[in-house]
Amino acid sequence: MTRGQLIRNILRVGFLCIVASFVLAPMIATVLGGFKTNAEIRTSAFALPESWNWEFYGSIVSDPMFWRYLGNSLIMSVAAVIITLIVGAAAAYVFAQIRFFGSRMLFSYLLLGLMFPFATAILPLFIKVRDIGLLDTYWAVILPQAAFSLSLAILLFRTFFEQLPKELFEAAYIDGCGYVRFFWRFTLPLSTPILATVGVFVFVQSWNNFLLPLVVLNSREVFTWPLGMMQFRGEFVTEWNRTLAFVTLTIVPAIVFFLAAQKYIVAGLTGGAVKG
Amino acid sequence: MAEVRLNHVEKAFGKFTVIPDMTLTVPEGSFTVLVGPSGCGKSTLLRIISGLEMPTAGEILIGGEDVTLEEPSNRGISMVFQSYALYPHMTVAQNIDFGLRLSKTPADERERRVAEAARILALEDYLDRKPGQLSGGQRQRVAIGRSIVRQPKVFLFDEPLSNLDAALRTQMRVELAQLHQSLDATMIYVTHDQVEAMTLADQIVVMNKGRIEQVGAPMDLYDRPETEFVAGFIGSPKMNLFPASAIGRDDAATIGIRPEHIRTDHENGDWPATAQVVETLGADTILYVTADGIGDMTVRLPGHMRLAAGERLFLTPDPEHLHRFGSDGRRLTS
Repeated sequence: MTRGQLIRNILRVGFLCIVASFVLAPMIATVLGGFKTNAEIRTSAFALPESWNWEFYGSIVSDPMFWRYLGNSLIMSVAAVIITLIVGAAAAYVFAQIRFFGSRMLFSYLLLGLMFPFATAILPLFIKVRDIGLLDTYWAVILPQAAFSLSLAILLFRTFFEQLPKELFEAAYIDGCGYVRFFWRFTLPLSTPILATVGVFVFVQSWNNFLLPLVVLNSREVFTWPLGMMQFRGEFVTEWNRTLAFVTLTIVPAIVFFLAAQKYIVAGLTGGAVKG
Repeated sequence: MAEVRLNHVEKAFGKFTVIPDMTLTVPEGSFTVLVGPSGCGKSTLLRIISGLEMPTAGEILIGGEDVTLEEPSNRGISMVFQSYALYPHMTVAQNIDFGLRLSKTPADERERRVAEAARILALEDYLDRKPGQLSGGQRQRVAIGRSIVRQPKVFLFDEPLSNLDAALRTQMRVELAQLHQSLDATMIYVTHDQVEAMTLADQIVVMNKGRIEQVGAPMDLYDRPETEFVAGFIGSPKMNLFPASAIGRDDAATIGIRPEHIRTDHENGDWPATAQVVETLGADTILYVTADGIGDMTVRLPGHMRLAAGERLFLTPDPEHLHRFGSDGRRLTS
């Protein structure tokens, strides 16, 4: 390695460290904050705690409501992911495979959803959910969440599906395989990278969503974790240490989910289908 | 095994007509090759027979049955694609028996047929591999294996060898010919390579701009091309074609002569010429010359020939092998 390359590498690593610190510093402060007293958080937010107080984490973990919130969030996020993947993939498959009258217009219309801010829709959404009678149920979060994820999912899926070689379908068609069977037996298994990408995206979005559950959920039984976190905000004091410990514990499932799905985000599954 | 018959088949994509009106019979058990330049509609024709494309008009009969509106899987055909189109997420064995599984063939029957196909194609050692782990020639065999197990009445091949390198192509060509002999099935094969057409076919269909120029056995096409197009397309090096007026004849519009039907001499002959390029291939020598008043010509001579570029020589055509074509491009018979 020459001197110039060395300097360039040091600069590169230094720059990446700075960028990473933007993400890591708040995370570390959050994790450590759960061990500190409220007074200590105010004085030294980023330092290691003077004494490691495990009771805040302990009290949260031993609280059955915490597990309830986490379970609710998990059910809603997973359901939103499943619905988005199935509906989005099926719709994208049609757009990619079949040319029908108005398909371009319909596709563009769906893409409009990308430009539609969630917060703008919150009031009509609340009214609709109330009219259908879904308030205070899981579906009140799952369905809008899935609906708002569909635009991006369909856009990504369609692009991916179009890249699958056309002859693959023709060969399967001659073997006696129809559109629907091809979708299940070929399109989905060959699209795991994009399914994983969209799945992670939808999961994290749903997991972290605060506004929607806040508006459509009222009873503690169905609260998601961001709502559950609110219990530490009293009228006069906010228990920051408990809040931070709570946040730390709720981030864990999202990270685990991402790590699990990450290994599927590998391209090259279609290698060998056609001579490249 | 079945005869394939096309009755006045037409195909248009929007306003663009690819195949104007085609009637063709592929005899039972024959190896028929559709050959022609790119864009002549040969692949489209094959896709119409397979059922991947619907004809705009006309009917298709396989084994005497009208299958024009039938699904591909019900036509008793199988197809090998240029890109192989193997299923990347399935093993070789799964690739081969996919069609059988769909048609609900019993498991023991399936196993027997896959084993049989693997034996014929020497794929026994690769049955558990994925297509990505195979070489080009092996993938091609898997694609063929996929067709064999379905025991179709008609095999369709869409330029199956064009993705292979030259040596492998020759080898696969021999294997295909053997396969045809052992299976005794009707095969329709599309290629733009006239060498493949000449070596494999027992019937060649030469196509140009969606029309059939000539149908016949390879040697018939070679010896008696019905049109100027066939004369120029079949044979390598190409037949020499030049205006009849250049050699002072008025009984035809165009005269053709194959390179091997011209003799050369240093002292005398009919057409004086200048050698341009000399290619010695070992068994024969290909001579590119410019004949005075006629134009560029190719001459094929047996054995070695010592000749330098720029040397003068005389050409004498074999009068029996002169082909005469009218102004409409069709062969004139005297």
